[in-house]
Amino acid sequence: MTQEITFWVLAVIAVLGALVAVRRRNLIHGVFALMIFFAALAGLFLLLMAEFIAAVQILVYIGAVGILLLFAIMLTERVTGDDARDITSRGSFWGWAAALAVLVFLLLPAIQGADLSQTAQPINPSVKALGHQMMDPYVVTLEVLALLLTAALIGAVAASQGGEKKKEDTDDA
Amino acid sequence: MSFQLIIDILIATVPLLVIFPSLFAFTTWMERKALARIQNRIGPNKIGVPCTRVSLFGLGQPAADGIKMIFKEDIVPRGADKLFHLLAPILALIPAMLILCFLPLEFPWGKFMSGKVQAFMLDSAVIFFFAITGLNTLAIFMAGWASRNKYSLLGGMRAVAQMVSYEIPLVLSAVIVVMMVGSLNAKEIADAQSGFNWFVFSPWGLAAFIVFFIAALAETNRSPFDLPEAESEIIAGYFTEYSGFKFALFFLGEYIAMFAISGLAVTLFLGAGDGPFVDAAPWMPAMWFIAKIFGLIAVMIWLRGTLPRLRVDQLMAFAWKFLLPLSIFNILLAGLSYFALDARVANTTDDVIHYVNSGNPFAGVPELGTNEALMGAMIYRGMAGEQNPMAAKKWFLKAALKGHPASRTLVAWWLGIWVLSLVALYVMAKGLNNLSRSTTKPREYLYAE
Repeated sequence: MTQEITFWVLAVIAVLGALVAVRRRNLIHGVFALMIFFAALAGLFLLLMAEFIAAVQILVYIGAVGILLLFAIMLTERVTGDDARDITSRGSFWGWAAALAVLVFLLLPAIQGADLSQTAQPINPSVKALGHQMMDPYVVTLEVLALLLTAALIGAVAASQGGEKKKEDTDDA
Repeated sequence: MSFQLIIDILIATVPLLVIFPSLFAFTTWMERKALARIQNRIGPNKIGVPCTRVSLFGLGQPAADGIKMIFKEDIVPRGADKLFHLLAPILALIPAMLILCFLPLEFPWGKFMSGKVQAFMLDSAVIFFFAITGLNTLAIFMAGWASRNKYSLLGGMRAVAQMVSYEIPLVLSAVIVVMMVGSLNAKEIADAQSGFNWFVFSPWGLAAFIVFFIAALAETNRSPFDLPEAESEIIAGYFTEYSGFKFALFFLGEYIAMFAISGLAVTLFLGAGDGPFVDAAPWMPAMWFIAKIFGLIAVMIWLRGTLPRLRVDQLMAFAWKFLLPLSIFNILLAGLSYFALDARVANTTDDVIHYVNSGNPFAGVPELGTNEALMGAMIYRGMAGEQNPMAAKKWFLKAALKGHPASRTLVAWWLGIWVLSLVALYVMAKGLNNLSRSTTKPREYLYAE
């Protein structure tokens, strides 16, 4: 009973947060609404006893993605968040069509095809077990990914440095 | 939803909600008094017991401040975002209060409950702690943005940049402890350090603790890292436009965050509730825990009184060019030395057990300290109760002191690894210090544009 009430409260918060994030003209309000959505999602994970995933949800989505979005907005002219009038809803028909298509052709069949009566396999939810399950088979993949990301990071730094230098040259000339 | 559940929740959380805010009041008094003494002033000394002339060294000052804050007019700038201006101080307090629950702080409730109570016993408490600490950044940015004041916005931007940068060395230095214990559970980390096996008593632990403490200072916006609220540059940074009770909430949130992050430092490095006479009374661990938190806060106040504020370029260079490489190097060093030492202990254990199994070796002089060495070997192998490498090392040390040759070799290795790690860390820190020095002169920095 408690769980059901909690689920519905969190679900309503999540949906409302997502709606506000999309509908709001003020970018900063939108980002904070998106974070409320992420927080509600973390709450849903907690409700499923997946505390590690909830923690990662908060750490990655609110702590990293959210801050990144704020950073991006801070670098634009619209940091004061005044009304962004040039966000138009041109082509909203196609957007609705695409969203409906995803719902009807992908999500609904998936939901109907899911066998919910089956009880889930009991799993060991400890962080240690989770780590072994993820790390043991995929260590090499993970290392390669980390190397790739590091290379991308260094490349981005190098690219931005080179761009600045060129600008300076043109200024001198 | 049973009545018992509500009672349990209240018993676990009310002490945190009562104890830490009251400690906050005391800490503000302590800070003002200590700063005053450092600057050769007297500090608050008038207000004590109301309606009498008893002043009690000004201990009544926090209460008077609180009353003033409540009755002060709350001013919201006309152009401000009213909702966010109201939400920001609340959002600053909630995560700070929430992370207190993850500390392995156990309050004994002898009369009411059979066992000790800790608010949250999560398997991934350390990750949760860092996740929720990050939310503080959002509140500060919200405050700076909602005020519609250029100084507030500058303070908010500085805060976001600073906290994002310093969170990385903070987490990386905590990783060392997680590696040693093999768990993210705060309780298990605390238990692993009982009996003075504190992680700060090893070269890599010491280095990690120092990095952690510096990063924690920056994370809580304490001096010398108080750039987001630098009075001489941007008035008061993100809370320039706050007054009255909203300001008090920010203040409270900042101090609670200080308590929480000191509490995490105590949990990870300083042995949590461990200390002398810890078994004397059920409330001893909680008392030790809070005493250690206060020790760390006293150091923070001391640093605030003695160090000047950093420049923005120095701040970023220090985080990315000094703390980050040092903590990555420290993780590598800790892993290598830990496994090298563990291999030596395993080797010695094999030797001792082989020696005992090989029949009668007492041809000449009986070896000294064999009993202690055997005890250590048995504990290491898990033959006497629980497997505990730390306790095994202690027994080997005892054997070595009595003159057991194999244990003496082990202790020599142990010392060698420690000295080598210390030297490596020192050389690394020195080199990074030279590399990360900002080459910009103060004047050039001022006129760089």
